[in-house]
Amino acid sequence: MRRLEIIVSRLAWFVPTIVGLLIIIFTISHIIPTDPVRVLAGDNATQEQLDALRKEYGYDKPLPIQFINYLKDVATGNLGISIFTKRPISETMWHRLPATLELTFAAVFLSVLFGIPLGVLSALKRNSLFDHVLRVITVSGLAVASFWLAMELQFLFSMNLAVAPLNGRISGFGPDPITGFFVIDSLLIWDMESLRSALSHMILPAITLALPAAATIVRFTRAGVLEVINSNFVLYERAMGIPWPLIVWKYVLRNALISTVTQIGLIFGVFLSGAVVVETVFDWPGIGAYAVNSILQSDYKAIMGFTIWTGAIFLIVNLITDIAHTLIDPRSSQ
Amino acid sequence: MTKHPFRLIALAAVAALGLSGAALAQGKYVHANNSGYDNLDPHAVFDVGRAASRINFYDGLYRWVDNPPKMIPWLAESHTVTEDGLSWTFKLRQGVKFHDGTEMTADDVVYSMERMLAMKKGPATLFMAIIDPGTTKAKDRHTVVFNLKEPSAVFHSTVPEILIVNSKLVKQNEKDGDWGQAWLSKNVASTGSYTLRRYDPAVGFVGARFKDHFAGWGAKSFDEIEFRTVLETNTRVLGLLKGDIHGTDGYLPQDQIARLRQASNVQIIEQESMRVFYFAVHNSRPPLNDVHLRRALSYAFDYDGFNNDLLKGAVSRNAGPVPNNLWGVPKDVKGYTYDLEKAKAELAKVKEPMRPIVIGTLAGFSETEQAATLLQNAARKIGIEIKVESAPWPVVQSRMQKEDQMYDMVPLWKSTYYVDPNNWIGEMYGMRYLPLRNNSYYRNPEVDKRLEQALKVTDQSTRDRLYQEAGRIVVDDAAGIFVYNTKWFGPYAANIGGIRFCPIGNAQDMRWAYFK
Repeated sequence: MRRLEIIVSRLAWFVPTIVGLLIIIFTISHIIPTDPVRVLAGDNATQEQLDALRKEYGYDKPLPIQFINYLKDVATGNLGISIFTKRPISETMWHRLPATLELTFAAVFLSVLFGIPLGVLSALKRNSLFDHVLRVITVSGLAVASFWLAMELQFLFSMNLAVAPLNGRISGFGPDPITGFFVIDSLLIWDMESLRSALSHMILPAITLALPAAATIVRFTRAGVLEVINSNFVLYERAMGIPWPLIVWKYVLRNALISTVTQIGLIFGVFLSGAVVVETVFDWPGIGAYAVNSILQSDYKAIMGFTIWTGAIFLIVNLITDIAHTLIDPRSSQ
Repeated sequence: MTKHPFRLIALAAVAALGLSGAALAQGKYVHANNSGYDNLDPHAVFDVGRAASRINFYDGLYRWVDNPPKMIPWLAESHTVTEDGLSWTFKLRQGVKFHDGTEMTADDVVYSMERMLAMKKGPATLFMAIIDPGTTKAKDRHTVVFNLKEPSAVFHSTVPEILIVNSKLVKQNEKDGDWGQAWLSKNVASTGSYTLRRYDPAVGFVGARFKDHFAGWGAKSFDEIEFRTVLETNTRVLGLLKGDIHGTDGYLPQDQIARLRQASNVQIIEQESMRVFYFAVHNSRPPLNDVHLRRALSYAFDYDGFNNDLLKGAVSRNAGPVPNNLWGVPKDVKGYTYDLEKAKAELAKVKEPMRPIVIGTLAGFSETEQAATLLQNAARKIGIEIKVESAPWPVVQSRMQKEDQMYDMVPLWKSTYYVDPNNWIGEMYGMRYLPLRNNSYYRNPEVDKRLEQALKVTDQSTRDRLYQEAGRIVVDDAAGIFVYNTKWFGPYAANIGGIRFCPIGNAQDMRWAYFK
């Protein structure tokens, strides 16, 4: 019952939160002393061109009307036309979504795969040499700048060892899109060359994203396990003669994962909203690279669209995280 | 009517290039671009960053090649112009095929011009002021007439930008009167050198050689060209060093050029471009409306220090508004030199009350910030206070186009939109371009008389003289601080030959290139 209440409550807040976000970004975009029509028309535009475009894109209307129109458009999934590319922003973001999703899933998978077991082991071997070494690695992983790590990985694995591609998502343009996920599409058409190419292109950007994410997961898992491992129920289970590995991996871990799951949710949200730097350095054609290009081109409409996307992603991720909490710890939904 | 000898030039050009439709071709050229190919419509995009799709997929009536740029006949064989300069008749080449096999005719040219004028985007800028919708006529199947509202000598140099689309195909794909914009943003309907093979707005495009192109092909021309978007400079450079790509943009930072020069598998092709760096000065606002203050500031800029030390000699001194490598430049004008004594002498003659001068620089473009700081330091030595404010280009641009909001000075570049002195001195200082392009708010009837006359006469030597005279006055008036003309350093794989750099398109016209 409590789970349903959480979902309804979160959904109820979704619309006002997005509207609030829209008001903020719309206001900011109109405070900046620039004219999107001049950007759209280019350096050499004539006054006639400016007037025509102002009318075409509705910039000739009063601000409140412009905002209401923008609200209506966003409600129907229309984020407007990019003032630089002159293409629909929703269509562009939708087109780029599979690339970002594919990289996100790979990076989150890697970070969870290594982060949780290492976090548990670190807690079990508290203050051992393993724990100290892992602490150094995780602190380094959190501190390292992603663009620096990305370039170092490129130098080492692409340039010096020549074992991984330098950039891009696949050699050439990849298979004709079915789902847009190259790994899945390659399997669907059983194109092993494309599959190998897609996976090899994914390795370096996924590692770059996964390292700091895994470090976060290790730290939170370790702290969670240390807190739970001294609980009375663990003492009771040991007294009952339940095998130690079973206690740790089934009972302790489940209770220790609450804060880790929250972190995984946030990491997922950050990656989904565009791993801006990593996508740019690795020339990964996702939403993050689109955001960078939009910022470089001062494409305010696209930047607004990206901001809405980011806001929506975090709201959804928070909702999923809350639901996950109730599944992991049924007490929270009672 | 004046007959232009373009037909002979066309034959000579084709013969000189050794082109043959039956020639063999080979390989795939891969280029990494620093800007996205997110729209393929030749009438919607018009910036240098996306020039490759316009040049390689589409043909114009004429075409720019080489440096200094030469205009060669392309879809049109020749043209005539009436004595009053209003009616321009172009004779089209016969038998030119679109990619779908249909023949290109004068109707396609008319449709392309009407489409540009209706869309009012990108290249329409060049034509809206001089051609009204509905006035372009197909005289017969292979003759088209452009009727201008007023005489315009500049029209001639903008003809290569009239890129022709397949009108029947585009019309079939029009939706809700959009002139086929949605469809043409991701498709190609042209006669151009390459057909569209793959396109992903997030990645780039692949073009396949159009075997039936009217101009034929060289013996070693590429079979395919691939242009990919790679935003990160370091990744483009590494890709070239590794051999993943064969070429990238020619305006890389000098430290990256130096790095590439050391690689045996990379060549750097160096050319003087047509991109003038200067300070736009607000000539109408006190105290900068005083010519002596403007001259004092011109003497206070350390040109050698900036060009040779800060920019490591990667540019060439340009003393006036028109690029050195174009006609219309008064060769006897040496421009200002860094001389603080002369600056002080000029400053002593200033009658206007002094106040701090505000320079607006372009955020993210460090050269503009360095130039402003250099001038600020020198000006302080002679008692002029300068404040430097930085803002993104759209903000600076918006302020520049309003006389009351324009900064006192803005360091920036004037790029090539068409190869004619009017692109520089005309638009920068002609009163007809106030306030959108003449952001210096310079109003000099003597200069304006010459610029206006140069727009109307078609005789080249007369125009050359008029632009030279106007240039002398502008420099003497110190209407701007003219610093340098950009050099282009094209980085290509060592095995690439046949790159023909032209300031229009920055060497991205790939039909001439080949693997050695």
